Amino acid sequence: MSSAVDDQLFDPGLQPERTALAWRRTGLSMIAATLIALRTVPQLLGAWTLVPLLGLVVAAVAATWMAHRRYRAHHARLTAGEGDRVPFSGGRLAALTAVVTLGLGAACLSFAVTRF
Amino acid sequence: MHSVPDSPTSCGAMTSARRFPQSVYRHGDEPDARFTLANERTFLAWIRTALALMAAGVALEALGTGMHTGLRLAAALVLILAGIMTAAMAWYGWKRTERTLRLRKPLPAPPIGLPLTVIAVVVGVLVGLAMLLG
Repeated sequence: MSSAVDDQLFDPGLQPERTALAWRRTGLSMIAATLIALRTVPQLLGAWTLVPLLGLVVAAVAATWMAHRRYRAHHARLTAGEGDRVPFSGGRLAALTAVVTLGLGAACLSFAVTRF
Repeated sequence: MHSVPDSPTSCGAMTSARRFPQSVYRHGDEPDARFTLANERTFLAWIRTALALMAAGVALEALGTGMHTGLRLAAALVLILAGIMTAAMAWYGWKRTERTLRLRKPLPAPPIGLPLTVIAVVVGVLVGLAMLLG
Protein backbone atom coordinates (compact mmCIF):
# COMPACT_ATOMS: atom_id res chain seq x y z
CA MET A 1 0.00 0.00 0.00
CA SER A 2 1.53 3.26 -1.06
CA SER A 3 -0.15 6.63 -1.19
CA ALA A 4 0.36 9.25 -3.87
CA VAL A 5 2.71 11.10 -1.52
CA ASP A 6 5.06 8.11 -1.33
CA ASP A 7 5.09 7.59 -5.07
CA GLN A 8 6.23 11.03 -6.19
CA LEU A 9 9.30 12.98 -5.13
CA PHE A 10 10.08 16.55 -6.14
CA ASP A 11 13.76 16.36 -5.31
CA PRO A 12 16.13 13.37 -5.04
CA GLY A 13 17.85 15.29 -2.22
CA LEU A 14 14.54 15.16 -0.30
CA GLN A 15 14.60 18.89 0.43
CA PRO A 16 10.86 19.26 1.22
CA GLU A 17 11.01 16.19 3.46
CA ARG A 18 14.12 17.42 5.32
CA THR A 19 12.43 20.78 5.79
CA ALA A 20 9.28 19.08 7.11
CA LEU A 21 11.38 17.14 9.62
CA ALA A 22 13.17 20.35 10.69
CA TRP A 23 9.78 21.95 11.31
CA ARG A 24 8.65 18.91 13.25
CA ARG A 25 11.60 18.83 15.64
CA THR A 26 11.45 22.58 16.13
CA GLY A 27 7.69 22.40 16.74
CA LEU A 28 8.02 19.57 19.25
CA SER A 29 10.78 21.50 21.07
CA MET A 30 8.53 24.57 21.26
CA ILE A 31 5.57 22.52 22.52
CA ALA A 32 7.72 20.92 25.23
CA ALA A 33 9.27 24.25 26.26
CA THR A 34 5.92 26.08 26.40
CA LEU A 35 4.40 23.26 28.48
CA ILE A 36 7.30 23.46 30.96
CA ALA A 37 6.83 27.23 31.14
CA LEU A 38 3.09 26.73 31.74
CA ARG A 39 3.93 24.35 34.60
CA THR A 40 6.61 26.57 36.18
CA VAL A 41 6.05 30.29 35.68
CA PRO A 42 2.53 30.75 37.21
CA GLN A 43 3.86 29.43 40.56
CA LEU A 44 6.51 32.14 40.53
CA LEU A 45 4.69 35.11 39.02
CA GLY A 46 1.03 34.46 39.78
CA ALA A 47 -2.02 33.01 38.05
CA TRP A 48 -2.37 35.88 35.56
CA THR A 49 0.55 34.45 33.59
CA LEU A 50 -1.58 31.39 32.74
CA VAL A 51 -3.32 33.32 29.97
CA PRO A 52 -0.24 34.36 27.91
CA LEU A 53 1.46 31.02 28.62
CA LEU A 54 -1.57 29.06 27.42
CA GLY A 55 -1.48 31.28 24.34
CA LEU A 56 2.15 30.21 23.77
CA VAL A 57 1.25 26.50 24.08
CA VAL A 58 -1.64 26.90 21.61
CA ALA A 59 0.58 28.86 19.22
CA ALA A 60 3.30 26.19 19.39
CA VAL A 61 0.79 23.42 18.63
CA ALA A 62 -0.76 25.50 15.85
CA ALA A 63 2.64 26.19 14.29
CA THR A 64 3.52 22.48 14.29
CA TRP A 65 0.18 21.64 12.69
CA MET A 66 0.49 24.45 10.13
CA ALA A 67 3.99 23.23 9.21
CA HIS A 68 2.59 19.77 8.52
CA ARG A 69 -0.20 21.19 6.34
CA ARG A 70 2.35 23.37 4.59
CA TYR A 71 4.52 20.40 3.67
CA ARG A 72 1.53 18.59 2.16
CA ALA A 73 0.58 21.70 0.15
CA HIS A 74 4.15 22.34 -1.04
CA HIS A 75 4.62 18.70 -1.94
CA ALA A 76 1.43 18.71 -3.98
CA ARG A 77 2.48 21.80 -5.92
CA LEU A 78 6.11 20.77 -6.39
CA THR A 79 5.18 17.37 -7.81
CA ALA A 80 2.45 18.80 -10.06
CA GLY A 81 4.95 19.55 -12.82
CA GLU A 82 4.85 23.35 -12.56
CA GLY A 83 8.65 23.57 -12.43
CA ASP A 84 11.14 24.50 -9.71
CA ARG A 85 9.94 28.06 -9.14
CA VAL A 86 6.59 27.46 -7.55
CA PRO A 87 5.62 30.32 -5.23
CA PHE A 88 5.67 29.24 -1.60
CA SER A 89 3.34 30.21 1.21
CA GLY A 90 5.29 33.13 2.64
CA GLY A 91 6.60 33.99 6.09
CA ARG A 92 3.62 33.93 8.43
CA LEU A 93 4.54 30.56 9.93
CA ALA A 94 8.16 31.62 10.43
CA ALA A 95 6.98 34.86 12.07
CA LEU A 96 4.70 32.90 14.41
CA THR A 97 7.61 30.59 15.28
CA ALA A 98 9.87 33.55 16.06
CA VAL A 99 7.15 35.15 18.22
CA VAL A 100 6.67 31.94 20.23
CA THR A 101 10.44 31.72 20.76
CA LEU A 102 10.59 35.35 21.91
CA GLY A 103 7.68 34.70 24.29
CA LEU A 104 9.57 31.75 25.72
CA GLY A 105 12.54 34.07 26.14
CA ALA A 106 10.42 36.43 28.22
CA ALA A 107 9.23 33.46 30.34
CA CYS A 108 12.86 32.34 30.84
CA LEU A 109 13.90 35.86 31.86
CA SER A 110 11.12 36.11 34.44
CA PHE A 111 12.07 32.66 35.79
CA ALA A 112 15.74 33.60 36.21
CA VAL A 113 15.02 36.97 37.81
CA THR A 114 12.36 35.75 40.27
CA ARG A 115 14.37 32.76 41.39
CA PHE A 116 17.30 34.94 42.33
CA MET B 1 9.96 29.33 -18.99
CA HIS B 2 9.97 30.64 -15.46
CA SER B 3 6.65 32.36 -15.55
CA VAL B 4 4.64 31.43 -12.49
CA PRO B 5 1.11 30.24 -13.12
CA ASP B 6 -1.10 31.92 -10.55
CA SER B 7 -4.06 29.61 -10.36
CA PRO B 8 -6.40 30.99 -7.70
CA THR B 9 -8.33 27.74 -7.54
CA SER B 10 -5.44 25.57 -6.39
CA CYS B 11 -3.58 27.53 -3.71
CA GLY B 12 -4.85 31.06 -3.36
CA ALA B 13 -2.84 31.71 -0.22
CA MET B 14 0.39 30.93 -2.06
CA THR B 15 0.04 33.44 -4.85
CA SER B 16 2.38 36.37 -4.69
CA ALA B 17 -0.19 39.13 -4.31
CA ARG B 18 -0.75 39.10 -0.53
CA ARG B 19 2.15 37.17 0.90
CA PHE B 20 3.65 38.22 4.20
CA PRO B 21 6.01 40.01 4.67
CA GLN B 22 5.74 42.37 1.72
CA SER B 23 9.26 43.66 2.47
CA VAL B 24 10.36 40.28 1.04
CA TYR B 25 7.76 39.42 -1.57
CA ARG B 26 7.45 42.74 -3.36
CA HIS B 27 11.06 42.25 -4.57
CA GLY B 28 12.27 40.00 -7.38
CA ASP B 29 10.60 36.75 -8.34
CA GLU B 30 10.45 33.13 -7.27
CA PRO B 31 13.80 31.42 -6.65
CA ASP B 32 14.35 27.68 -7.03
CA ALA B 33 12.12 26.03 -4.41
CA ARG B 34 15.20 24.24 -3.00
CA PHE B 35 16.77 27.59 -2.04
CA THR B 36 13.63 28.68 -0.21
CA LEU B 37 13.50 25.35 1.61
CA ALA B 38 17.18 25.61 2.60
CA ASN B 39 16.60 29.14 3.90
CA GLU B 40 13.69 27.85 5.96
CA ARG B 41 15.84 25.10 7.49
CA THR B 42 18.54 27.63 8.38
CA PHE B 43 15.89 29.75 10.12
CA LEU B 44 14.68 26.70 12.05
CA ALA B 45 18.23 25.74 13.06
CA TRP B 46 18.71 29.27 14.51
CA ILE B 47 15.38 28.97 16.34
CA ARG B 48 16.51 25.71 17.93
CA THR B 49 19.82 27.37 18.83
CA ALA B 50 17.85 30.14 20.52
CA LEU B 51 15.75 27.60 22.44
CA ALA B 52 18.94 25.80 23.52
CA LEU B 53 20.53 29.04 24.76
CA MET B 54 17.43 29.92 26.77
CA ALA B 55 17.20 26.37 28.18
CA ALA B 56 20.86 26.55 29.20
CA GLY B 57 20.24 29.78 31.08
CA VAL B 58 17.21 28.37 32.90
CA ALA B 59 19.04 25.11 33.70
CA LEU B 60 22.01 27.02 35.10
CA GLU B 61 19.74 29.05 37.37
CA ALA B 62 17.64 26.03 38.41
CA LEU B 63 20.37 23.42 38.87
CA GLY B 64 23.57 25.37 39.53
CA THR B 65 23.70 24.85 43.27
CA GLY B 66 26.82 25.74 45.22
CA MET B 67 27.73 28.59 42.87
CA HIS B 68 28.18 32.28 43.58
CA THR B 69 24.58 33.41 43.13
CA GLY B 70 25.30 36.82 41.58
CA LEU B 71 27.69 35.46 38.96
CA ARG B 72 25.36 32.53 38.27
CA LEU B 73 22.47 34.91 37.63
CA ALA B 74 24.67 37.05 35.39
CA ALA B 75 25.65 34.00 33.31
CA ALA B 76 22.00 32.85 33.12
CA LEU B 77 20.83 36.29 32.02
CA VAL B 78 23.53 36.51 29.35
CA LEU B 79 22.48 33.09 28.00
CA ILE B 80 18.76 33.94 27.94
CA LEU B 81 19.33 37.36 26.37
CA ALA B 82 21.57 35.72 23.77
CA GLY B 83 18.68 33.33 23.04
CA ILE B 84 16.28 36.22 22.56
CA MET B 85 18.78 38.00 20.30
CA THR B 86 19.29 34.80 18.28
CA ALA B 87 15.53 34.34 17.78
CA ALA B 88 15.17 37.92 16.54
CA MET B 89 18.18 37.50 14.26
CA ALA B 90 16.71 34.25 12.89
CA TRP B 91 13.64 36.15 11.64
CA TYR B 92 15.57 39.09 10.20
CA GLY B 93 18.12 36.73 8.64
CA TRP B 94 15.36 34.67 7.02
CA LYS B 95 13.78 37.81 5.56
CA ARG B 96 17.09 39.14 4.29
CA THR B 97 18.13 35.83 2.72
CA GLU B 98 14.72 35.27 1.09
CA ARG B 99 14.81 38.78 -0.39
CA THR B 100 18.36 38.21 -1.62
CA LEU B 101 17.36 34.90 -3.22
CA ARG B 102 14.46 36.59 -5.00
CA LEU B 103 16.80 39.28 -6.32
CA ARG B 104 19.43 36.71 -7.43
CA LYS B 105 22.16 38.50 -5.47
CA PRO B 106 25.10 37.08 -3.48
CA LEU B 107 23.95 35.76 -0.11
CA PRO B 108 24.75 37.74 3.05
CA ALA B 109 26.67 36.17 5.92
CA PRO B 110 24.87 35.51 9.20
CA PRO B 111 25.54 38.61 11.34
CA ILE B 112 25.57 36.84 14.69
CA GLY B 113 28.54 34.45 14.50
CA LEU B 114 31.10 36.68 16.21
CA PRO B 115 28.72 37.99 18.92
CA LEU B 116 27.72 34.42 19.80
CA THR B 117 31.39 33.40 20.11
CA VAL B 118 32.06 36.33 22.44
CA ILE B 119 28.95 35.42 24.47
CA ALA B 120 30.08 31.79 24.80
CA VAL B 121 33.46 32.96 26.14
CA VAL B 122 31.83 35.42 28.57
CA VAL B 123 29.44 32.74 29.86
CA GLY B 124 32.33 30.29 30.28
CA VAL B 125 34.31 32.84 32.32
CA LEU B 126 31.26 33.75 34.45
CA VAL B 127 30.41 30.10 35.20
CA GLY B 128 34.06 29.34 36.01
CA LEU B 129 34.23 32.29 38.42
CA ALA B 130 30.86 31.37 39.94
CA MET B 131 32.16 27.87 40.66
CA LEU B 132 35.46 29.13 42.09
CA LEU B 133 33.85 31.77 44.32
CA GLY B 134 30.76 29.73 45.26
